[in-house]
Amino acid sequence: MNKRRASKWMKFALVSATFVLVLTGCTSSKGASETGTAKAAAEGSSTVEGGELTYALATSPDSLDPGTSGYAVSHRVFRNIFDSLVSALPDGTFKPWLAESWTKSDGGQSYTFKLRQNVKFHDGTPFNAAAVKANFDHIQADPGGQAYSLLGPYASSEVIDDYTIKLNLKEPFEPLLSGLSSGFLGISSPKALQQYGEQYSKHPVGTGPFKFVKWSENDEVVLEKNADYAWGPPTADNKGASRLNKLTFKIVPEEATRIGSVQSGQVLAAETVPPQNILALKNDPNIKLEQSVTNGTAFSLYFNTKNEPFNDPKVREAIRYAVDVDSIVKTLYLGTYQRAWSSLTPGILGYDASLENSVKADAQKANQLLDELGWIKGADGIREKQGKKLTLRYVEPSPNREKRNDIAAIVQQQLKQAGVDVKLTITKDTTTLVTKGEYEIFGNSQVKADPDILRNLFRSDRVYAKGGTNYSNVNDPEIDKLLDQGYQESDPQLRKEIYAQIQQYLIKNAIVLPIYLFPYTVAHSNKVEGLKFDLLGYPQFYDVSIHK
Amino acid sequence: MTGVISTRLLSSLLVVLGSSMLVFIIMYLLPGDPVLIMLDGNASSPEAIARIKSHLGLDQPFHVQFYRYFTHLLQGDFGVSRVNSDPVLPKIIEHVPATLALTLVSASVSLIVGIVLGVLSAIHRNGVIDFVARFIGLFGISMPAFWTGILLLLLFSVQLGWFPAMGSDGWKTLVLPGLTLGLVGAGFIVRMVRNTMLEVLGEPYIITLRAKGLSERAVMYRHALRNSLIPALTMMGLTIGELLSGTVVTETVFARQGIGRILADAIMSKDIPVVQGVIFFTAIIYVAVNLIVDISYSFIDPRVRRSQLKGGV
Repeated sequence: MNKRRASKWMKFALVSATFVLVLTGCTSSKGASETGTAKAAAEGSSTVEGGELTYALATSPDSLDPGTSGYAVSHRVFRNIFDSLVSALPDGTFKPWLAESWTKSDGGQSYTFKLRQNVKFHDGTPFNAAAVKANFDHIQADPGGQAYSLLGPYASSEVIDDYTIKLNLKEPFEPLLSGLSSGFLGISSPKALQQYGEQYSKHPVGTGPFKFVKWSENDEVVLEKNADYAWGPPTADNKGASRLNKLTFKIVPEEATRIGSVQSGQVLAAETVPPQNILALKNDPNIKLEQSVTNGTAFSLYFNTKNEPFNDPKVREAIRYAVDVDSIVKTLYLGTYQRAWSSLTPGILGYDASLENSVKADAQKANQLLDELGWIKGADGIREKQGKKLTLRYVEPSPNREKRNDIAAIVQQQLKQAGVDVKLTITKDTTTLVTKGEYEIFGNSQVKADPDILRNLFRSDRVYAKGGTNYSNVNDPEIDKLLDQGYQESDPQLRKEIYAQIQQYLIKNAIVLPIYLFPYTVAHSNKVEGLKFDLLGYPQFYDVSIHK
Repeated sequence: MTGVISTRLLSSLLVVLGSSMLVFIIMYLLPGDPVLIMLDGNASSPEAIARIKSHLGLDQPFHVQFYRYFTHLLQGDFGVSRVNSDPVLPKIIEHVPATLALTLVSASVSLIVGIVLGVLSAIHRNGVIDFVARFIGLFGISMPAFWTGILLLLLFSVQLGWFPAMGSDGWKTLVLPGLTLGLVGAGFIVRMVRNTMLEVLGEPYIITLRAKGLSERAVMYRHALRNSLIPALTMMGLTIGELLSGTVVTETVFARQGIGRILADAIMSKDIPVVQGVIFFTAIIYVAVNLIVDISYSFIDPRVRRSQLKGGV
């Protein structure tokens, strides 16, 4: 008896102590953040220009070799070390960068690039046509990374003279320039590629505004200013050397710590701020938030059109009416994320804005449709037809990202209201499930700056077992034809029309249910100025300077 | 004494090998294809996957993989990481000092806080001090390390700005993680010391000592405390295991380098050689600490020393 009372006491004390801790934390917030800033200012005292930017990353890069990496986080780091041949503008056109000009052959099967002269790699190697060729050869030798797929139907490259290189394709490939503008096709020093061999991913050497200094595993990647830099991309205000002396990426996986280290002034900026912190940080006068919607495909639910009963578009339509996307996005992201309407994100060439507000949740319609189709609610509230229950298998392969497991749980609840039983599988290991087609709903999003991303998702030959991501198992010759025209068409206006048709088809036939657009969110100190984002939503540090 | 130590060394070796074997079997049985996890959703042709598998020897049956792993291990070859082909041994050796530093600091926090609070709470039984000490003990035991860590971080780093929130350079970055982890061990030790102190204080010889007119201070510290330390030390040996596993969480929360963090990453990516290597080292540290604890008994308790000298135990 006595013991029980004591343990009750303990619990009470524990709870109140926690409360006190949290409350004192809240009330003293202002003064504390001031000391934090004061401390940081004292440490970096006279560094008005030419300071050091520390940036907290949520995950660690896998490799700093752009030719073999596939991770967004690696791109955030190595974009500063490497320049690309061309630079992508937001309107879908391209401007010169390391290439001064280029011409496309009549059939669209070869591109000839005139290269900028007097550009040097960090190790002193001159940048020229041979260097570019060495990079393409390096990518072809190891087809594992993003770079390989960005080169599409690459055939060969020829060195015409020191500063002219010709790139040959097996067939016309309109997304090529978009790929070449990406950091994944940033140009490495051919000398370093040879010198370090397999270890190159830890000793990257490029022509970019920052030189690689060191990478301590799970801790930090340090870069320093390339003082000779004089070939900034047209998208940047700066053209010469960076205003920062040093750029340090700290790897901080825990959200609270990452945000805490910006608030305490230990780092000047941190990426991927979760929604609940976005709201809190908006009121912090010392911190600014920047959001950039990541481009590619919106996070969407892909409906498997192959399995019973999902092979019937009417059933898919009913399910779509039963899922209230608006309330999911509002509940989970507290108004900090936008909901998606199309398979593509708004920043991508060919995005079809007419789809916005086109399909709304309607529980009544959902029920009515399912009734009409002969799926009648049984005693347990689950619909049945010919003795078979209406059961859907929902697979979520990225459980820890952006509350996607919560989306799955809410969809399950919402569909239960409509009399549909949802079996959830939340796992990173989905290969067997996907190969065998044991799912009706699959969650996925992808990053790319070109609408050709849809080809790998919906072309009939891009099934999973053959290296594609056609999760919906779409198999329609009409769509195949449109997807092929899409990557071969050189007239931007016609391209846009083709992709609009594809997006409409996907919504009309209830093949995808777009859920949300992912805003890459950065919290940084007021002292950081000039942080920009590229078309993919990746941060760019070249224009950054640090002020008092 | 040497006999005792050599028997202990032999059994320690068995523990280390046994734990490695167990981990190998568990990792083998866990669902998830390491090659596909390696590729992390980057679609690849089945031929490419088969090539990687045969390159890593993953297409071999269990007993072949097992034999290969152990013969290599016994030759000091820990293999290479499947994620980035780094050799495992140098990687671990590079990160061990950071984890050892964290473990040492938190063990010291555990011991000092644990013994001081334990003694105080026994002396002031049922008083305010006792209540506070027991509360801290309960807090340490019941709070998950990541929660304590974040609370300390919000208070001492974000609000007060006294210590850095993350990183692994300099003693300042050791304070918060050391405290976080130390509180866990302290919780166990407070309870242990308090209970044994109370027990000892009820023993007849304490009454005798008091009857002889020995000062209360001498009774408490020279006699009662000394006799209460043996169980605390045993507890410390066990707690080291707790602390080592706690580094996995603490190093992640405070973004520190160390083998705990490596282990967490390696488990996520099913990087078996790295998991194996880290477990092997952790087992060695754990066994070594317990050996030291056993030996240190003899310095505190003459009875143990005598029986060991006679070849007993």
